Amino acid sequence: MHLKYESFVREPLVDNSKDYHEVSEDIVSPIERKPGRMWYVGFIFSLILLGFGIFSVSWSVYWGLGTWGVNRTIGWGWDITNFVWWIGIGHAGTLISAILLLFRQGWRTGVNRAAEAMTIFAVMCAGQFPIWHMGRVWDGFWVLPLPNSRGPLWPNFDSPLLWDVFAISTYFTVSLLFWYSGLVPDFALIRDRAKTKFRKMAYGVASFGWTGTAKNWQRMEALALVLAGLSTPLVLSVHTIVSFDFATSVIPGWHTTIFPPYFVAGAVFSGFAMVNTLLVITRRILGLEEYITIGHLEAMNKIIVLTGSIVGVAYLTELFISWYSQSWGEMAAFQWRIMGPYWWSYWAMMTCNVVSPQLFWVKKLRRNIPFTFVMSIVVNIGMWFERFVIIVTSTYRDWVPGSWAYYSPTWPEVGFYLGTFGLFFTCYFLFAKYCPVIAIAEIKFVLKTSGENYKKKMEAIDAMDAQEFIDSVHAHHGEEHHEVAAH
Amino acid sequence: MSQKQYWSGIEDLNNINTPREVVENEFKEELPFELSDSLFGATTPRRDFLKFLGFSTLAATLVASCEMPVRKAIPYAIKPEDIVPGVPNYYASTFADGGDYCAIVIKTRDGRPIKIEGNEMSSVTRGGTSARVQASVLNLYDKARIRHPYADGKEATFAAIDGMIKEGLAAKPGYLVTSTVLSPSTKEVIAQFLAKYPNVKHVTYDAYSYSGMLLANEACYGKRTLPTYHFDKAQTIVSLGADFLGTWISPIEFSKGYSKGRKISAKNKNLSRHYQVEATHTITGGAADHRATCKPSEMGKVAVALYNAVVNGAAPSLPSKALNELVNKAAADLKKGNGLVVGSSNDVNIQTVINAINDKIGANGVTVNWTVTSNCKQGIDKGIVDMVAAMEAGQVGSVYMHGVNPVYDYFDNKKFAAALAKVPVSVSFADRMDETAQKCKFVLPDHNFLENWGDAEPKPNYISLQQPGIAPLFKTRAFQDSLLTWTGATQTWADFWKEYWMKKTGSQDAFDKALQDGIIEPAGEMANGGAAFAGKTDEAINNIQNKKPHAGVELVVYQKIGIGTGGAWSNNPWLLEMPDPITRATWDNYLCVSPKRAKELNAELTGFSEVESKKVVVTVKAENGYSVNLPVVVVPGMHNDVVAVAVGFGRDKQVGRAAASDDTKGGKNAFPFMVFNGVTTEHHSDVTIAKTDLKYDIAITQTHNSYEARPVVHEYTLAEFTKDPDALLKERGAEISEFTALPWIEEGKEGKIDSNKEEGYRENGTLYPNYPYEGVKWGMSIDLNSCTGCGACVVGCMAENNVSVVGKDHVLKNHEMHWIRIDRYFSGMADDPDTIQTVFQPMLCQHCDNAPCENVCPVSATNHSSEGLNQMAYNRCIGTKYCANNCPYKVRHFNWMDWNGADCFDDNLYEDGRRDDINDDLTRMVLNPDVTVRSRGVMEKCSFCVQRLQEAKLVAKKEGHPLKDGGAKTACQQACPTDAIVFGNVKDTNSSIYKIRRQEQAERTFYVLEHIHTLPSINYLSKIRNTDEINAMDENKNEFLKYHI
Repeated sequence: MHLKYESFVREPLVDNSKDYHEVSEDIVSPIERKPGRMWYVGFIFSLILLGFGIFSVSWSVYWGLGTWGVNRTIGWGWDITNFVWWIGIGHAGTLISAILLLFRQGWRTGVNRAAEAMTIFAVMCAGQFPIWHMGRVWDGFWVLPLPNSRGPLWPNFDSPLLWDVFAISTYFTVSLLFWYSGLVPDFALIRDRAKTKFRKMAYGVASFGWTGTAKNWQRMEALALVLAGLSTPLVLSVHTIVSFDFATSVIPGWHTTIFPPYFVAGAVFSGFAMVNTLLVITRRILGLEEYITIGHLEAMNKIIVLTGSIVGVAYLTELFISWYSQSWGEMAAFQWRIMGPYWWSYWAMMTCNVVSPQLFWVKKLRRNIPFTFVMSIVVNIGMWFERFVIIVTSTYRDWVPGSWAYYSPTWPEVGFYLGTFGLFFTCYFLFAKYCPVIAIAEIKFVLKTSGENYKKKMEAIDAMDAQEFIDSVHAHHGEEHHEVAAH
Repeated sequence: MSQKQYWSGIEDLNNINTPREVVENEFKEELPFELSDSLFGATTPRRDFLKFLGFSTLAATLVASCEMPVRKAIPYAIKPEDIVPGVPNYYASTFADGGDYCAIVIKTRDGRPIKIEGNEMSSVTRGGTSARVQASVLNLYDKARIRHPYADGKEATFAAIDGMIKEGLAAKPGYLVTSTVLSPSTKEVIAQFLAKYPNVKHVTYDAYSYSGMLLANEACYGKRTLPTYHFDKAQTIVSLGADFLGTWISPIEFSKGYSKGRKISAKNKNLSRHYQVEATHTITGGAADHRATCKPSEMGKVAVALYNAVVNGAAPSLPSKALNELVNKAAADLKKGNGLVVGSSNDVNIQTVINAINDKIGANGVTVNWTVTSNCKQGIDKGIVDMVAAMEAGQVGSVYMHGVNPVYDYFDNKKFAAALAKVPVSVSFADRMDETAQKCKFVLPDHNFLENWGDAEPKPNYISLQQPGIAPLFKTRAFQDSLLTWTGATQTWADFWKEYWMKKTGSQDAFDKALQDGIIEPAGEMANGGAAFAGKTDEAINNIQNKKPHAGVELVVYQKIGIGTGGAWSNNPWLLEMPDPITRATWDNYLCVSPKRAKELNAELTGFSEVESKKVVVTVKAENGYSVNLPVVVVPGMHNDVVAVAVGFGRDKQVGRAAASDDTKGGKNAFPFMVFNGVTTEHHSDVTIAKTDLKYDIAITQTHNSYEARPVVHEYTLAEFTKDPDALLKERGAEISEFTALPWIEEGKEGKIDSNKEEGYRENGTLYPNYPYEGVKWGMSIDLNSCTGCGACVVGCMAENNVSVVGKDHVLKNHEMHWIRIDRYFSGMADDPDTIQTVFQPMLCQHCDNAPCENVCPVSATNHSSEGLNQMAYNRCIGTKYCANNCPYKVRHFNWMDWNGADCFDDNLYEDGRRDDINDDLTRMVLNPDVTVRSRGVMEKCSFCVQRLQEAKLVAKKEGHPLKDGGAKTACQQACPTDAIVFGNVKDTNSSIYKIRRQEQAERTFYVLEHIHTLPSINYLSKIRNTDEINAMDENKNEFLKYHI
């Protein structure tokens, strides 16, 4: 008897009785079927948003950034707010797949694939903003340290914006590799099940000739570990470096050493909220409630309440330090932030990010799906406001009062933001249609330990007293030994 | 076998080898990269080859994909003698516009005027300029100028029109209407014309008249003229409503003089004291030491109270305590001598009382000069009123109007238009189809002043010659030529003018010198003398006392410093976009109201309204029935029962695209609010105000009015400064001594800083190595005490540096491009206008030696020069705007749109309807070819006029001497009428900038935001007010500190 035991205190990670075939069937069949009506509605809506985004960006590039509301005082508005927001969202996937992998958190298997996909799409969305907010986007490649005939003239390695370029492109590359390497065995599974020639060919190419040999698996595991090791520092570094855009400046409200941890916590916070938003919908539409269980959502909600509290402490620390510093610039910046014309954005941030997640201390609410869904959106609204507060309400009233100004976005800015939603969901819908949204191989890996029916089988053993159990183990041990010996 | 060698020259013979090499490689040109070592000599030349191939292909593709428009440049067939392409020529000339006078130097490049500077040889304006003088060059290239004469609205020739006019001239009586004529030769032409046609009368009409003063002076001194005011000699200045630094009579002259009395240092603590009583808030009020407000109808009583206080020490009983106190103090100071009282009222009685005060305090002959008087304003209102009556009665056969636009600016303009219709022959010499020209039978466009010969005599025997900078652009004719033709003279105006001055100067040499200098003046200091006062003071006082006070709201009609009374200025985009010094509003006129009255209208200044550009619209109705809708702009320091509206707006669409007005743009005409009282036109009237539900956008560039008690501005009273001149040094020391007092330097002591400490702070305030500046290191000093906020620097900078005009819609979005802005801060109690103190601070790129903008640019587009300039490489900029965000002074300006057509995007030039003419091929002739026209998507900012610095260095190099102090001047410095800006090489210990910082003004020197260690290259000198207390720092005295929503 092969014995894998996991405490009954732990919830099963896969509900109901599932065997390997059923797992494959449940997860792969949506890919093999024609998509449902909801998928079409969602996909077309996303495409429309994306189209509007492309139109808005084209408009801004053709006519110039004067079509935006950003101005001489507030040089960054919705553009960089959205950039930081999307980058933050892009943190959850890699955190789940890398850090939780290193910490051997079995529950990550249900959510990691979707979360990683979300990360990649979010980083793609984020990347649009620094590109298209440039006044002369056609010269944007000058930020790359390419050998050139202009001198040669190199980028300014002192500039945090340049660090961003490196940090984000590295993060995107590693995340993409990590995600794709996990997809390879699952693509092979689809290929093997494929009944149409095209599908067989397409997934055959995508799976790189995976045959499922022990060597294949061993290499994949090794690669996963290496990439996890590589991504772990990246999860922390990307948002740290993004925070340097602000932390290294001289503007009160930006010039803060607390930013790196504060940004990372906020990123995890918003990323997990976004994962929740997507999973609640995905599990429902694709009928994957048995794989993405309430237990999964609860685990996510716990992280949300933790990181939400961290950012709450960070906000209060900022306030305390601005008072403790007795530096007039600092004190005034926070005063204007809280009580100036943009007071509403500060209080929206405080309410959404600090106050409301505290409700997740209540177990009932943590396990309540509609509540989780609403909260996941509230958190992301709050995190959007956090970035808005940092970026806009620091610059709008900085050092010299004569230059103070106000800022409201114009339609191309809003359109650009909506467009990135279009990009994100277009990618996500395509992903949900063509890729297994749950890592099949990894689910199978935990199925016999943490699947509900396998856990049920352990009930008899759990009922034994200790001596009985030892005896039975010994007995089995003997048998197994024999079997091995027989080989 | 030897071959016969021919040598081509003596060098060839002497050294046979070298020349051959030279001959063989005659057209040798180095490749732009090092071939020998890095490419062919390298271990992996293949890779380098691919690198070069790849990137040159990419670069070529990029370049090729960007199609630039082809513009043709036609070279001279015969090069004019004095024109060297790329080298500017300067011509001394004169700016005279309806009595507004300035001696100027025209800078021309390749035959076109591109910049106006002040002529430093003039003892009247002394090199100063105003915003309007700076902007006048743009009027030359105004697209709205008419290009040929019109008869009955159709194109005609001068000859044809001359014929028709000559017929009409002899018949019925006619009128020649001009604005104030400063030109003696033109006066001669007019005299000849009038002599030939005795039934033509000459009427001088000033839209904003000084008749009250002229008549009072005639009554008191027997001279219908204005005196010369010597503000530089005045120890006590009392102004009853006169905005002498902004718009009153001769503001450039007065600013120059006034600023002399405002220069103060720890060594020379003498500071004039300036009292201002006014109804509205002017920049002169902003500069004042003591300021109180009254209604315009109460101004007479203030004058009388001051008179009584001066004469018999009578205690004043004026409507407010502040007024009483001010009058008492002012009277006491005036009695000490060297006093000067001026007043803007157009009421003869009030001017008589003011004359009486000046007489009593002995100002005549000291600060009020009756020997050398002023010709700047000559119009008498009665003249035109009588003329209108005659026109209405059908007695007038012809009217000739030069420099005037009464259909727009006459107080009863409808009546004038109706009367004009009854005149058979009406002639306008306007440069555009203005309101009057449209109603005239003939329009004979005059030359622009930059196209014409002329002269001006602002003061008797103080002459300034006007020579053209360019040949006439259109089919225009000098006004004088028209008169000469009609008179029957065969001479052209140019010949007449030359003969006139040849005769006066006596010889060709003297004439040439006068023309070159532009100035003919008596030698030595200006003569000064008094005059016997014979005014009927008691009668005037009685008249004033008998006037019934008005209980309601009064409206003041004022001139904006940029727009004046309208004219061509209304269509000048530079001036329209120049923020008003007080309201900081652009492109419109509006109703200025006090914060208290605004609260009643629900349009207060505080809270969200501060950032809200949509202003409440009110209906203003005058007693004469004239009524307009105007948006409300809150101006602290306005009297609570006074509202004000500027003239020069509400123009007809043919005045120009920028001026055109309707309900959605361009403001409203305020001239009909003026009232004729039987003798003179009063510039105020009684009105009622009713709120409407409408809103109107006003583009204001500064929305926050307080400097929040921050060390951005430092203000002291004279008493504080006298007591402890080192107060500012101590304050700075508290911040920076810490960095100096490192153990190995000296004991840490708080207190005064010297140059060592400043250097210590520079070195120890950073972790990075310090850049040792050798040779030139540029620096600027701005004196907050001298700056009056007039805006000449703003426009001067626009003209010099091709700064874009962005239009109202983009100013609303804070997209304006001014490289230098003048921050204006209020302090005091909002509801009490008498407590308001105003300070102006020019803010431009500080050229920080530790610049926050430089290290954040991802592509190093902004970097530091070895001379301390923070410079922009526009070509390198990709427009991330990070530098602007990280600039603590917010002086970087992004090209949000294609303002100038400098892009490779076709047809995406920004157009808004009003600013568009700025990109017309004609208007673009004003662009300075030495300065890049920036394309869309790049950041720009003040360059310290680097093109001028380079030129100055080259000139010094050519002349073979080190750069002299004053050799390089920035445009803002040169434009400034108060010498508030000093610029130079701080490494040169003989330079004035060095002396100011280290010696003369060390006590007043400070750097804005010094504590963040940006190490600015611009220092400011603290504001010293000759007053009792400074409100700004005290929350109980400065309500603006509490406006935190």
